[in-house]
Amino acid sequence: MSRLLREGAKLIGQGITGFEGSRALPRMLEFGTQIVAGVTPGKGGLVLEGVPIFNTVSEAINKVGEVDGSVIFAPPLRTLDAVKEALEAGINFLLVGAEKVPTKDEAIMYQLAKEHHASIIGPSSVGLINPRRKLRIGFLAVAKTERAYQEGEVAVISKSGSMTSEIALHLKNNNLGVSWALGIGGDIIPGTDFSDFLLELENDPQSKASVIFGELGGTFEERVAKLVKEGRISKPVVAFIVGDFTTKLPKEVQFGHAGAIIEGTRGLPENKRKILREAGVKVADDLDQIAALVKESIKE
Amino acid sequence: MILYEFEGKQLLFHAGINIPNQQILETSDEEVIVRSPVVVKAQVLSGKRAAVGGIAIVEDSEKIQSEIADMLGQTINQEKVERVLVEEKIAYQKAYYLSISYDGEERAPVLSFSKEGGTGIEERRVEKFVINPMSPYDNLPSGIEGELLEKVLNLFFAEDCLLLEINPLVKTNDGRWVALDAKIKLDDMALSRHPDRTFPPRSVPGHTSTTTEIEAKKIDQEDYRGTAGSAYFDLDGDIAVLSSGGGVSLTAMDALIAAGGKPANFTEYSGNPPKEKVVKLTKIVLSKPNIHGLWVIGTVVANFTDIYETLSGLIEGLREAEKELDTKFKFPVVIRRGGPRDDEAYQMLKEVKDFDIYLLGPETSISQAAKVMQQKAKEYAISQGDLEDE
Repeated sequence: MSRLLREGAKLIGQGITGFEGSRALPRMLEFGTQIVAGVTPGKGGLVLEGVPIFNTVSEAINKVGEVDGSVIFAPPLRTLDAVKEALEAGINFLLVGAEKVPTKDEAIMYQLAKEHHASIIGPSSVGLINPRRKLRIGFLAVAKTERAYQEGEVAVISKSGSMTSEIALHLKNNNLGVSWALGIGGDIIPGTDFSDFLLELENDPQSKASVIFGELGGTFEERVAKLVKEGRISKPVVAFIVGDFTTKLPKEVQFGHAGAIIEGTRGLPENKRKILREAGVKVADDLDQIAALVKESIKE
Repeated sequence: MILYEFEGKQLLFHAGINIPNQQILETSDEEVIVRSPVVVKAQVLSGKRAAVGGIAIVEDSEKIQSEIADMLGQTINQEKVERVLVEEKIAYQKAYYLSISYDGEERAPVLSFSKEGGTGIEERRVEKFVINPMSPYDNLPSGIEGELLEKVLNLFFAEDCLLLEINPLVKTNDGRWVALDAKIKLDDMALSRHPDRTFPPRSVPGHTSTTTEIEAKKIDQEDYRGTAGSAYFDLDGDIAVLSSGGGVSLTAMDALIAAGGKPANFTEYSGNPPKEKVVKLTKIVLSKPNIHGLWVIGTVVANFTDIYETLSGLIEGLREAEKELDTKFKFPVVIRRGGPRDDEAYQMLKEVKDFDIYLLGPETSISQAAKVMQQKAKEYAISQGDLEDE
């Protein structure tokens, strides 16, 4: 299932009556994103911001018809059940916001998504935005949107929620805009890694280049390098990888995100940069260099 | 959370996996009941303790007490030894290596098995088996008893482990499988599924927490709203840092160091913590001597964080810290932060006259803000006579 939702995509919101979901709902709607139903067990019959709430996903679909995806605001320990329910109801695009989802649940979710031929963005996804398609899902850029985001041709894929917007801001300050921007989360087993999304962007006419924000830990940057080398990712990628200072601290410390941890020599930012450079990816040493590298790579 | 060997072995034992007869001791006057010959093992979280005197084989029961006394209180890989494990020495015919962990590349649990077990083997031939978390017994190695593997896998999933490593796993002369070591890492995210657990808090391998680090951790333990202080480390620089958001914090620290600044700490607060928590964290980062600047750094496009609340907490924290430390903070405070209610917040800060505050906005990137901070801190250090003008 494609992660590149169409304009006018119909979505449901699971757990949308909760603290976080109910704050995000009006923001998504005001951007033009279509949230056609909400699901919270026991809250069926409620209407929130004009959106009908149902007890189960299948009930919601029976009433509002087929949907393009679900955005899940369930708390971390309920996330797996919410994902299962959506997949079993035939929904094949999910964006999962909860942070601190146990790794075992993430592994099960990833396996289930594969079996259902579905795509999951997250857990720990701050959200996704595509200004041209009027999509703003999750928490991303729900405040001060215009400060950081303008429509454009650059995709931003980030392990960090707040850096997604900081990179969009840097691009905007340099007269560049975003096609897609999303947080893929910094967990050990994300449903979508950089490469999963970059591969889809190969077929996206709006995106001319991408920026990836990586950090210490994991091997997702290495996979990007491999696919670029093989030519399977052909559009230009600019990478910005942080976390050098952590080498001064004890090992096996987790920095903010569950996957941001160095074990042995794996996951060192400098190694990631080296591997990416060798594959032909442009690597920014400083945040402020990103826009220039993007412009350079679009021209080439 | 990483478990000490003795804690890990208890989990193995209760999962039906054999471990040697053993006893845990915190002082050398306790009587040793385990029969000699024994292995005395320092309980530290870091690996490779054998090479630095953390493991001793004692054949003569007369010498056990003195060996224990020697080991207790020693420092091994920067960790103080507070407990030793005394175990019966097991004779075996063959040693194996077994571990289960999550593999980001496979995005699945992976079981690794090697016929070359034991320590000191850097390059062992390991076979990897990708495990389907929904049917974990489908793809298992041969050459090892299936029943044992099932027990280990059960334990891994039932206890929400991130890592379960048994090295060596030995086959004894009488054909029994025994775990001679255990390295278990539990998933903190799943903690609330295991309310019966009582493992005390601990530092990370190869590190003994400083008092400030312990104090900082308490902030989150006492109040679950947002995070503040869970990730805190002392560094030896002179710029106190309060940063927000995982990715921004890492970016900011790299940028500050690249600009020539020297951070006095690493910490992070996020998820809209209430004012009281920001106050506490502010006091902690300013409790160190010789601070030449405070850097408050976060995204200027926060999604839900109430910037007015959070920066009010900062000012309150500064004032309380001044009182408690009976001092006046004259160092520069450089702030770059934005999001909901930031107009009000910056308006409020402009009226604060008791600190030397510099306000930066969306036109200033994190890297540029780092340069401003470095420059201001340097000027202040020079003015104090702590640094010579070039």
